[in-house]
Amino acid sequence: MRLMIVDDASFMRVAIRRMIETKEYEVVCEAEDGQQAIEKFQKYRPDIITMDITMPNLSGIEALKEIKKLSSTVKVIMVSAMGQEALIREAVMHGANSFIVKPFKEDKLIEVLESLKS
Amino acid sequence: MNEDMNGLLEDQEEDTQKGKFLTFSLGEESYGIDIMYVTEIIGIQPITVVPELPDFVKGIINLRGKIIAVMDARLKFNKAPKEYNDRTCIIVIDIAQLSIGIIVDAVAEVINISDDNIVPPPNLNSGGRKYIKSVGKSENSVILILDCEKLLDEQEIDELKSSND
Amino acid sequence: MNNSYIDEPMLEAYVYETSQIIETLEQLMIQSEKVGNFSADAINEIFRFMHTIKGSSAMMMFNEISTLAHKIEDIFYVIRENQGVKYDFSTLVDCILESVDYYKIELIKIRNGETPDGDTASLTDKVNDYLEMLKEDNGLKKTKKEKETKSEKDQKYYIRPSKKEDPAKYYKAKIMFKKDCEMENIRAYTVIHNIVDLVEEVLYKPSDIIDNDQSIDDIRANGFLMAIRSTSSEEDIRKYLEKTVFLESLDFGEAEEDWYKEFEVIYQDQEIHDDIKIPETSKKYIENQKVKKEKEDIKQEVTATTTQSIISVNVDKLDMLMDMVGELVIAEAMVSQNPEVVRLEIESFEKASRQLHKISSELQDMVMAIRMVALSTTFMKMHRIVRDMTRKLSKDVVLDVYGEETEVDKNIIEKIADPLMHIIRNAIDHGIEDGEDRVAKGKSKQGSIILEAKNSGSDVLIIIKDDGKGLDKQKIYEKAYNQGLIYQSIEDLNDKDIYRLILHPGFSMKEQVTEFSGRGVGMDVVAKNIESIGGSVIVDSVLGKGTTIILKIPLTLAIIEGMNIKVGESRFTIPIVSVKESFRPGSREIIRDPDGREMIMVRGLCYPIVKLYEYYGLRTDVKDYENGILIMVEEDDRSCCLLADELLGQQQVVVKSLPNYIKRYKQVKGLGGCTLLGDGSISLILDVGEFELSNVLDK
Repeated sequence: MRLMIVDDASFMRVAIRRMIETKEYEVVCEAEDGQQAIEKFQKYRPDIITMDITMPNLSGIEALKEIKKLSSTVKVIMVSAMGQEALIREAVMHGANSFIVKPFKEDKLIEVLESLKS
Repeated sequence: MNEDMNGLLEDQEEDTQKGKFLTFSLGEESYGIDIMYVTEIIGIQPITVVPELPDFVKGIINLRGKIIAVMDARLKFNKAPKEYNDRTCIIVIDIAQLSIGIIVDAVAEVINISDDNIVPPPNLNSGGRKYIKSVGKSENSVILILDCEKLLDEQEIDELKSSND
Repeated sequence: MNNSYIDEPMLEAYVYETSQIIETLEQLMIQSEKVGNFSADAINEIFRFMHTIKGSSAMMMFNEISTLAHKIEDIFYVIRENQGVKYDFSTLVDCILESVDYYKIELIKIRNGETPDGDTASLTDKVNDYLEMLKEDNGLKKTKKEKETKSEKDQKYYIRPSKKEDPAKYYKAKIMFKKDCEMENIRAYTVIHNIVDLVEEVLYKPSDIIDNDQSIDDIRANGFLMAIRSTSSEEDIRKYLEKTVFLESLDFGEAEEDWYKEFEVIYQDQEIHDDIKIPETSKKYIENQKVKKEKEDIKQEVTATTTQSIISVNVDKLDMLMDMVGELVIAEAMVSQNPEVVRLEIESFEKASRQLHKISSELQDMVMAIRMVALSTTFMKMHRIVRDMTRKLSKDVVLDVYGEETEVDKNIIEKIADPLMHIIRNAIDHGIEDGEDRVAKGKSKQGSIILEAKNSGSDVLIIIKDDGKGLDKQKIYEKAYNQGLIYQSIEDLNDKDIYRLILHPGFSMKEQVTEFSGRGVGMDVVAKNIESIGGSVIVDSVLGKGTTIILKIPLTLAIIEGMNIKVGESRFTIPIVSVKESFRPGSREIIRDPDGREMIMVRGLCYPIVKLYEYYGLRTDVKDYENGILIMVEEDDRSCCLLADELLGQQQVVVKSLPNYIKRYKQVKGLGGCTLLGDGSISLILDVGEFELSNVLDK
């Protein structure tokens, strides 16, 4: 499975990468904001995207909408924090396949990823 | 020969290092250093003298770009100095991020000494004896096991300094 | 930490990123404070900063840090979402700066592998109170309640109104989510949202999952119940439901129509279609983002390309890289200057080695350039110092900064922040007078401190200039004399010598210790710190007008131009900046003072001589002035002549520090470090300032 990590916090990118890298998932690219996410999605065509919501330039939800227009098969996992319920609802409405709430550990992330297979 | 010794060191995997000692000789006596401290063994090489240091600190050497201090084990243990020859070796040890080379007459081998063959040292607090942590028995020889921490201990340094003054 | 997934790179990334955010945040506060309000951009940025810290810290299990960030995030959420909201600006700035300080301390602990255990209780309370006040003052609490009561009315959703033909079957399902999966209501919503294609209609309980976050508790306790009417096969629906993320258990099966109707009755309908209502706040949020997006379209292009082209590198790796380049340069010299090869005089070899030399020196320059960091971050920190000091001391002082783009080596920058801080504190505390005094003296009420950096040859000058009361020469002299620091009469000393006394250990002008400066730490520590990086401190002052302190700092510690000399078997390297000239004394006149110290006359001036072989107890055959060579060295206008056997030549050398073992053992006087020469041998670098220099006397 080819994966793209979208987060403006470099720490979160490192964290997610390290949680999944040894598994069967391959991180093909990372993006720092929504705009970059769209550009990189077109270039690398990942199967799964982990998408932060609060980002500069273009929010995760806006990026999600654009990306979902570009591909119907890509799976998007929203990475959110407590207090962002409303935003996640909106993301789900716009096609987010799942979401995960910070803080999370490796096992939770893997479980979400596994559930999106097939 | 030195290459052989380093090869020998590399064979020691991390978890099998326990109970292994590198032995070397100073005159008639055999000493041992816990292998976990030893990073490499090199032949004697040009030493740059640093002024105003005690005799046993011979100076500094260039270890592939890294500058480390070297001490003469004989002088440190208050033994008569001996001219260096092609058997003379520098054992490079690494303790608490401090690297130092120890000049010894010759390096012998890496041996196993089990815990029950290690006994406390005789209570003689003189000369090199105070750097002996314990005494190990191996087949038909007695190995004096060095206390590396003490060898580089700052307090030790201060004591020496005041006794020299 | 028993979390297997938190490892070194993550910790490093966390500390690095959080420190950067905190630093930027601090600067943002100081800047905003100057303007007296938060710009819309600033509010957005602070919100995002706190959001990031909250998330990252929670991931790292630093809960206190995360909670505090969450609270501040909440405050800025309120401010951002409610335009024109009234808030107490200066209290908020204080709160955040206090939090910044707290974060700084905790980050140091984390960096050192300790647990961040700082007590946030009072700080969190403060922030919390602020948030409550903010909501209350702006009547925001009420609206929230309104929303809650309203949401209770929304009871049921059904999707895809029933078709005419209805061979549909009825199913019931109960989903239990795994513990700790968080936001169960949204997870339930996800299930409903995506089941649309499979079903004709779906009813569920609790029904208020969209608007009421309290429904989480219901789902946790009783599970999420669904009544489904569908034409899809039982198997398809089951498969779909089984794929639910964090599914703990699923009860699924066919149900009676009656049961379904009952379920329907219980949850009175109220039609809402596919486009589910977005709660007010998030709608605004999205609009906000849109506006911002348009506004920043141009800016965005720029940042997208610039941020991508910058990576952060561990300084240790840079140190290693520099060491290796240093070795490369040495190895290059060993190859190209190999006497046996040189003797062959092969033209192609010479050409190739010239090329190699060019590349390796360019490489060296590049590595040096990589290590250079602008002083701006360090300078920016001073704004905070000035802010805190002026507040506490009720003084009015403005700090002006110039030349903050000047770059110096990374290692050096770390060593100048503390001295700089101390000097500026001193200036505000002891230098600049109270407003009234200033006015009485005909100065402007507001004091001024100018902080400036500029390049000057291979040095960087950092100038700290205040317009305070200046230094009193007479007082300094008396103090120093009484403390036994000097014996000369005041007439024998020039101004610079007298001002230099304030750098002397143990010298303190102020009896009274104030909170900021004083505390037994004086200018001598400043001088020592600056000298430890090969710099020097110059003090100048005009009584009543102000004081200027100049820190002269080398651009880099790593590479110096050096003069190599030989004494017996030993080699030494003298930094070329310290060398004035070298000459064979020959039969020139050597003077001996009553103590037997030797001096030499050069152009009418008298210089003391240090015989290196004697000074360091080295064996050499060259002991007389006939065969040896004298090198005149100078530092801060003080000089002496060093006697060596011979000069070996001038070259750039990579400075390495002496092994810790030796440094710990003894700080050998006059030795500043060591370096490797072309043949792999070691040369000791002389620190000229540590020799017994003297002010050269006219005779």
